[in-house]
Amino acid sequence: MRWLSGLREAFAQLRARREELVGINQRNVMLVYPHNARRDFPLADDKLLGKERFATAGVPTPETLAVCDGLYAVPSTVEALQDRESFVVKPASGSGGQGILVLGERLEPGVWRRAGGDTITSAGLQRHMADILFGVYSKTLEDRVFIERRIVPHAFFQELWGDGLCDIRVITLHSQPLMSMIRVPTAESGGRANLHQGGLGIALELETGRTYRALHHGMPVERHPESGTPLLGLQVPDWARVLEVARGAAGAVPLGYLGVDIVVDQERGPLVLEINARPGLEIQNVHGSGLGKALRRLSA
Amino acid sequence: MQKPSLSHAKKLLLTAALLLATVGGMVLYKVQALGYSLRDTLPLTSYHVTYALDFDGHGEDVRVRTFLPATDAHQQISQEENQATGLHFNQRLEGLNRVATWAGADVPDGTRLRYSFTVLPSRLQFQLPAQLPVPESYPASVSPFLRPEKEIQVDAPELTATLARIGGDRGSVQERLRRIYALTSELKPRPFKGTTDALTALRLGEASCNGKSRLFVGLARAAGIPARLVGGLILEPGAKKTSHQWVEAYVAGHWVPFCPTNGHFAELPERYLTLYYGDEALFRHSSDINFNYRFEVASQLVPSPKAKASFKIFNVWALFERMGLSFSLLRTLLMLPVGALIVVLFRNVIGLPTFGTFLPALIAAGAGETGALWGFVGVLLVVVVVSLVRWGIQRLELLHSPTLAILLTVVTLALLGTSLLAERFGLMALAHVTFFPIAVLAITAERFYLSFTEQGTKTAMKELGGTLLVMLACFLVMNSLALQVLLIGFPEILLLVVAANIYLGRWVGVRLMEYRRFRRLLFQGSPQ
Repeated sequence: MRWLSGLREAFAQLRARREELVGINQRNVMLVYPHNARRDFPLADDKLLGKERFATAGVPTPETLAVCDGLYAVPSTVEALQDRESFVVKPASGSGGQGILVLGERLEPGVWRRAGGDTITSAGLQRHMADILFGVYSKTLEDRVFIERRIVPHAFFQELWGDGLCDIRVITLHSQPLMSMIRVPTAESGGRANLHQGGLGIALELETGRTYRALHHGMPVERHPESGTPLLGLQVPDWARVLEVARGAAGAVPLGYLGVDIVVDQERGPLVLEINARPGLEIQNVHGSGLGKALRRLSA
Repeated sequence: MQKPSLSHAKKLLLTAALLLATVGGMVLYKVQALGYSLRDTLPLTSYHVTYALDFDGHGEDVRVRTFLPATDAHQQISQEENQATGLHFNQRLEGLNRVATWAGADVPDGTRLRYSFTVLPSRLQFQLPAQLPVPESYPASVSPFLRPEKEIQVDAPELTATLARIGGDRGSVQERLRRIYALTSELKPRPFKGTTDALTALRLGEASCNGKSRLFVGLARAAGIPARLVGGLILEPGAKKTSHQWVEAYVAGHWVPFCPTNGHFAELPERYLTLYYGDEALFRHSSDINFNYRFEVASQLVPSPKAKASFKIFNVWALFERMGLSFSLLRTLLMLPVGALIVVLFRNVIGLPTFGTFLPALIAAGAGETGALWGFVGVLLVVVVVSLVRWGIQRLELLHSPTLAILLTVVTLALLGTSLLAERFGLMALAHVTFFPIAVLAITAERFYLSFTEQGTKTAMKELGGTLLVMLACFLVMNSLALQVLLIGFPEILLLVVAANIYLGRWVGVRLMEYRRFRRLLFQGSPQ
């Protein structure tokens, strides 16, 4: 009967661990619905609406160069960008990094090199903006386009991965940080920091901002799988300011449970990129522990 | 973590309890006070029977005669159809039997005649009174069934001696019938197709169904109990030539069935189709016409007419009939919420991704007419078409909505093309893919296209697999005729679906697929 008691023990352990884990159902019923009113979701889903609030509250964000809210405005917007060396085109209501176009270098007037290496012309840019306006990259029928100054990442993040933008995600409840991680793009993930597309997640100690665990495709790793950069035991620069910005962003909107995405610019320091009212749960896999403990610590 | 407040939990519980009580109360009221029959919500098997008769005539008139079934307590006959070109069809009653005759002039090239009908049979069982003595006399209409016939030698000394030996000439009607039944059912079976008379069956100690039945009738008549032969078919899906014979004995004013061949005492199984009474030949025809026949039987589940008759208030069934709307529309309507619940279970408890929230239930509802397989084929066809069209037109870089409109057009053309080709190659079942509701396929096309374009092939394929699996589950549940009839009689059961959704709507458990996603977290040592 030893195997039976072993089984019982294993089951008890599973139950204890399941207590710590927040699944999608629990996240929705206990975190999202009670703390985030549906009418406030647009503040997270529409990046331009969020940016307005952040501006009012004095929370730093990347500089908006132009906003384009209809097909009529596309040619003039592109015209005005002709002499820009680098900028980013984003859909206001895109998700998962879709529809974001990073123009890294102007080759000649009306021709740029994209972050991935391809070139794009003014005509291509116009078509992309038209696609965004028609809602191709959002769950809505119509969308807006906005142009942002391109972030120059802090050297710390440049070293992690140079070809794309690393960001820090901070999960907050009532403006208090719960858990945090760095998301690092890989060549495989196409320069996006999305964990499901092959991006890298690095767990951060909330108190210190030090990295202590990294996950790639669900497996713990110690180095960047492509560049070989060591990932563990690193100190995120300006950590106190990162948390301050996260709190500030969370406090600027009436949403109680949030994922705040922050980038650290070389000159301007931590900036809020966007917020998410239904942050994913993969951060638990990155940390190797559930959100339960952090939630209890907060309520204690 | 802030738990939902107690009052909120109580509100939920109260709502669910109220729903349960309402359903329980209404079902109880309908069954107890209004006489709704719960048992009859189970579907019945109905059979479609076709006589296929082939013959040719040479220089003389042809004439074919057989029996047609009549509706009685055991069987309900409907949808009779005569397909016989160039032959004169006539039917008349001869005693209890419906006699059909086809007659015509010479048919040198041969002809095939088809006569079909639908049977809804039910099992008949009789309880024989234990002490009933053999009556002194019988009504004039019954007494002829005591007389000897050419092949039923009631007066033969061997027969009466046997009757005396088994004690069939003593005791109550029930005792006599039991002994006669025992003797005849214990005769060795014989796969002999021709006629065996009563005496031959007795002498040989073996017989096929007609010999055993004649011996039964002969012994019963000798014992003073009127009895007659019954001819018919055993209903089994497929084609066959074999007919069957059994008997009926007159007990206390009823003709009670017995089948000594297959061991049925005072009962008529559901699958017996009665065609005629008496010692008759099933087919008679003019000579030299190369006569050949076959019975084709197909079975189908149908709602019980008894259930329908017992539904009285809020009778949506009758309403739909008055409005000329089909039964399938009604059942689709009532089963859609059940299908939606299945989708909710798969999404929130198992965690399977699907195209859209209720698309699997809609596809399953659409497949109700054509069968689950054609639902699969329809969806896969759409997927193939969408993939091809996407590959073909993405280089044109069109705007989003016109792209979807093109997809819909090509899906429509592909469906029609498939039907045309299938019909040409004789694949009639595949040709039915056009019946699949185009609206459902259009939504499928859009969802698949969006998923394919926005999330990539891998996610789209996962969602496709999930959609097909959930659709199959929805189909199995939604296509249950018993459940359909139950919901038609007791539509309030849909409130239980609401209660289940209330429960699932607050269920915070870990989804089955999340055990896999977080397996390292749940099953392996924590790093801290």
